[in-house]
Amino acid sequence: MKFLDQPPRFLFFTGKGGVGKTSIACATAIRLADAGRKVLLVSTDPASNVGQVFGISIGNRITEIATVLGLAALEIDPQAAAQAYRDRIVGPVRGLLPETVVKGIEEQLSGACTTEIAAFDEFTALLTDSALTADYDHIVFDTAPTGHTIRLLQLPGAWSGFLEAGKGDASCLGPLAGLEKQREHYKAAVDALADPQRTRLILVARAQQATLREVARTHEELATIGLTQQYLVINGILPDSETETDPLALAIHKREQAALQAIPAVLQTLPRDLVMLKPFNMVGLTALQHLFDDTAPTNTVAVDSPLELNEPNLSDLVDEIAKDEQGLIMLMGKGGVGKTTLAAAIAVELAHRGLPVHLTTSDPAAHLSETLNGALDNLTVSRIDPHQETERYRQQVLETKGAKLDDKGRALLEEDLRSPCTEEIAVFQAFSAIIREAGSKFVVMDTAPTGHTLLLLDATGAYHREISRQMDTTGLHYSTPLMQLQDPKHTKVLIVTLAETTPVLEAANLQADLKRAGIEAWAWIVNSSVAASRTRSPLLRQRAANELREIKAVARQHAQRYAVAPLLQLEPIGVERLRALVSHQ
Amino acid sequence: MSTIQIFDPALCCSTGVCVVDVDQQLVDFSADVDWAKQNGAQIERFNLAQEPMVFAENPVVKGFLERSGAEALPLILVDGEVALAGRYPNRNELTRWAAINVIEEKDASSCCSGSKCC
Repeated sequence: MKFLDQPPRFLFFTGKGGVGKTSIACATAIRLADAGRKVLLVSTDPASNVGQVFGISIGNRITEIATVLGLAALEIDPQAAAQAYRDRIVGPVRGLLPETVVKGIEEQLSGACTTEIAAFDEFTALLTDSALTADYDHIVFDTAPTGHTIRLLQLPGAWSGFLEAGKGDASCLGPLAGLEKQREHYKAAVDALADPQRTRLILVARAQQATLREVARTHEELATIGLTQQYLVINGILPDSETETDPLALAIHKREQAALQAIPAVLQTLPRDLVMLKPFNMVGLTALQHLFDDTAPTNTVAVDSPLELNEPNLSDLVDEIAKDEQGLIMLMGKGGVGKTTLAAAIAVELAHRGLPVHLTTSDPAAHLSETLNGALDNLTVSRIDPHQETERYRQQVLETKGAKLDDKGRALLEEDLRSPCTEEIAVFQAFSAIIREAGSKFVVMDTAPTGHTLLLLDATGAYHREISRQMDTTGLHYSTPLMQLQDPKHTKVLIVTLAETTPVLEAANLQADLKRAGIEAWAWIVNSSVAASRTRSPLLRQRAANELREIKAVARQHAQRYAVAPLLQLEPIGVERLRALVSHQ
Repeated sequence: MSTIQIFDPALCCSTGVCVVDVDQQLVDFSADVDWAKQNGAQIERFNLAQEPMVFAENPVVKGFLERSGAEALPLILVDGEVALAGRYPNRNELTRWAAINVIEEKDASSCCSGSKCC
């Protein structure tokens, strides 16, 4: 592995949920410790399975791993860090200020930014010289801060006012005002991150086009900030040997090889390592010690028992949706889980049943409107480009609201506008005109705003609600977008996930976030399930067996109703293949 | 010299871009506050999401929140008394409260409030 060659003190692994960051970070830490180095492994994985991996309980304190000489670990729970931060701010005024006021404050501090900055706060002590970490040759992190967070910390404008004087202008960094450390600590931490002598960033991806595109964006963003020492690891590649026995395995192999061939140009120059898919779970020392081996160990786990998956499929869900004859159907989930494909499949099936449908998508790939527009009588397709919408929104804000700002203020406003919330808001605004159509037909969308965004939107709608109360007395009807989304007769939110630990956990967090906004997810879809396909490849059957536990968790703990959609040999493009996805049995 | 205290609503960003409709008032007001401070005004700002304790400890502000809720913010106190609520003051109002010399203000904004464009 190239990324393990002469590693600096700090190693950061970054990539989206489910690509295997934590496993690779664990395996790296073990490898370094086995080579005689003193290593601290820091995990912020919400699934937090580092303890499970080593068979001990770790938690938020440095814990020696007895089975690996020289290795210690620490788990940081970003949600708990954010909660602790909220409690510090809100706790003292609980009972003193009206309950609704306290709730409003808590919501402001419940966004993704707060969570990230609170987690970064926990990092800083580990990145700057301290007695805590002096003993360790290497500190391995299974996550990295985003470009947005680092840039904010670098902006001089962000630090004026609140942070130094405790008064004055707020900023997106406002959350830091309640944090305990001083500016110098954050600066030292950011300096350490941007120092190639001290820090190596390892981008973790899968051999999938969409994932590689996303990694390319992360690479460019972090390189611009100064994190120039980057490596690329592509995890979970299906080996050649599997393709002989099974058409699905062959199709996956071809797709992966094509994705590797077409790897984005900016990633081509990075030192690259490939990690093969292993026929065992990444739990336990032995498994992790073999993660980087090229030759699969011979003790392949046999999965001889037939995997008879008798789970509800998409057509069951569509039957129920169709009964209402109209309404808003929103698919929600992390990037890469297949929201767009599933939205298209549901829309096509509804239209095929003679129901009027408007499918609207934010997928950058344009083929949907090309292949579907005019293909069915009752189906219209429209597309919204998230980058265009976000850019338009940013320009509009900068030109109008930022016109009078000085350079520092303008830089800060620009960075605030690069926050993940901004894109969500811009896209949702673009969709909201179409949403109104849902009173007379089906509107199917491949995106949905988070509960946090909805609650913030609704706070600005307080004035409108006041008006609506006055209008109600005159017999006029008024409803805010949030009220519309909260009404199960009007809106159905479908949460899309993969049958893997981290994606299921992330989906559960999305659901909890919606619940805070008073929206109940109507159903879950477990997408790209190998268990729901009929594969004979031993490696894929092992993966299928692992999926069963996750599908069970979705069915029993998370979803009020659910469906499982299979991983397909062919990409579902066009009416026929999309319909096949719904009626697959 | 009078002390002007601004009690802002809970905002995760002062620029307000986290909230859908960016409040032009807020952006302009930030600039006005800077200007007034440079002219010697004593102005303090408190964000409900960051320093709620200041709101709870001030009986006037606390009473205001109980009566009208957080959606009625901002609240502006001058020497502890309510001077304005529900909107941000403009530059004239700041000038009056802080007793800033008006001639000086005219000089500062003779063509376009900023310092660089002229």
